[in-house]
Amino acid sequence: MNAVGFAWRSLVRQPARAILGVLGVAAVGALLLDMLLLSQGLIVSMRDLLDRSGWDIRVSVREIPGRGGRVSDASETAARIAALPSVKATLIVRIANARIEREGGPPIAATFEGVSGRSNKGAPITPPWTVLRGRDARGANEVVVDAAIAKAANLDVGGTITLRASCVADLEALPPARLQVTGIAEFPFAGTNEEGIGGSLDALKAACGGNVGDEADLLLVTSTGESRETAEAIRPVAPGLFAMTNDEVVGRLQQTGFTYFRQISAVLTTVTVSFAVLLISVLLTVSVNQRLGEIAALRALGFSRSRVVKDVLSESALIVGLGGLISLPLGLLLASGLDRILKAMPGIPAELHFFVFEGSALAVHIGLLAATAIVAALYPMRIVSTLPIAATLRDEVIG
Amino acid sequence: MRGRAVSNVIVDAREVGRSFAMPAGPVHAVRDVTLQIRAGDHIAVRGPSGCGKSTLLHMLGVVDAPSSGTLLFDGQDVSRLSDARRSALRLRRIGFIFQRFFLLPMLTAAENVELPLSEAGASRRDRQERTKVLLDYVGLAARADHRPSQLSGGEMQRVAIARALANNPQLLLADEPTGELDEATGAQIAALLDRVNADGTALVIVTHDSTLAGRAARVLMMRDGRIEREATR
Repeated sequence: MNAVGFAWRSLVRQPARAILGVLGVAAVGALLLDMLLLSQGLIVSMRDLLDRSGWDIRVSVREIPGRGGRVSDASETAARIAALPSVKATLIVRIANARIEREGGPPIAATFEGVSGRSNKGAPITPPWTVLRGRDARGANEVVVDAAIAKAANLDVGGTITLRASCVADLEALPPARLQVTGIAEFPFAGTNEEGIGGSLDALKAACGGNVGDEADLLLVTSTGESRETAEAIRPVAPGLFAMTNDEVVGRLQQTGFTYFRQISAVLTTVTVSFAVLLISVLLTVSVNQRLGEIAALRALGFSRSRVVKDVLSESALIVGLGGLISLPLGLLLASGLDRILKAMPGIPAELHFFVFEGSALAVHIGLLAATAIVAALYPMRIVSTLPIAATLRDEVIG
Repeated sequence: MRGRAVSNVIVDAREVGRSFAMPAGPVHAVRDVTLQIRAGDHIAVRGPSGCGKSTLLHMLGVVDAPSSGTLLFDGQDVSRLSDARRSALRLRRIGFIFQRFFLLPMLTAAENVELPLSEAGASRRDRQERTKVLLDYVGLAARADHRPSQLSGGEMQRVAIARALANNPQLLLADEPTGELDEATGAQIAALLDRVNADGTALVIVTHDSTLAGRAARVLMMRDGRIEREATR
């Protein structure tokens, strides 16, 4: 019987201890997995979100993340950028608060994104939303709305909405605009409880009573090749503005906002791993101390020191391995629940996830659990490796 | 079970002593014992409690090292062997029987017997064949699949004897093998040990049991760590 088989029998011999250890590791392993998913989840999710948008450079008055300020002379700036040979397309994005009126209920607050695109080389212009049903809004009196608005306002494709948009100040009083809904769309950068409306810049201007000005909250750019080089080329033609590639945006997020989650994750990972080490170490130490006579007898019968050490290590590996296996579905389930809770925070894009499963996180999870199994077994391994055979046999008989 | 030249010296202990450091000063458990164990010997070690019988047995079985003197096993000075070499020596050349059996409760009788064979690297087939032979030898073939908790004290000691014989040792050491058994069961175990010895394995038994000691060809009487006298039958 090899060390693993022997360890398995030892576990089965004391089922309560084994179950306690396995469940303990499963709980700790689930938390550990979640911390690892959390540590990189936002970054991975944000990168995916940015890459999926189809635009690889963002031009704004502030570094992203950051709010406030608008690009003035947006049309001229966009035209200068679009004229660069490495630029395929540009999109002016102007954002306004809007309220959709509805009969028999309070107005629906929404964010109206008005866009105006310019394509130099026939490249398609992707709006910052995805049309799910119907078609995209093209004219000055057309919009797409998200499914939540359609449901709340009892709308469908072809219907009309009456809204008041506020492009300059929240308190401005403008006449309502009637706009036709041409499609139901998804707004990936909209917050979980934030409703989205999309349309052309002309539609936004119409909704704002023409009171918009040549300003943009953001200019989106698609490059023909290397986005970093294109961003470099944009900077001289857009002085005073920040041109950031998706990589740079993700890098900034890593340095600023998301560091918080990484730090929390690192602290909780350390705590959970330490707890697992203590739990397994205590269980194994108690088990070994209860079996000193047997171990001494095995040594007297010729079992080598390395063999009895392997038995203990195998027992630790089995407890941690079984607990680790259970921890995977448990951790993913827990991550899904925690993700829903965290995404309910205001301002978090609905498609952004805090917990994202990645192979590298799983590899680190396995590595940390393997290290836990080894470290937890160190003390009990030391007990069996330094066990004085004769004295232990004598003590067992006297005891 | 085996046939070896009777004149072969297995253990040659020359003035061995064993002392333990204690707060009140060293305790000399065994003093200047000189002893030779030959193939086929049947030796009983007797004496009052605390006279050093078990300590001597542990040194003869290479689980403890002498503090003084020289102990040769098959001509090798055991104090010069590494822990791994001493383990290998015990595994292949020495068998142990304990008063408390020390069978592993989570294993069946057969699996307990297989353990030393497995540790010695025997193939699965060889292990199973040898285990079957040994359990048959100790009269427990029908109890092979029973766990220790399902066996009587005498049966457990029989399994322990089978386990001790697994790798066909030259020397079998027994520390109070009938200490936890009633008289009738003890007699059965004594008879089994006689048979093991008759089949060629040298046997050293530490015992308080005069009946068991009376079966030995040599009886060593110990007192205060020394062999006070030796009686030969």
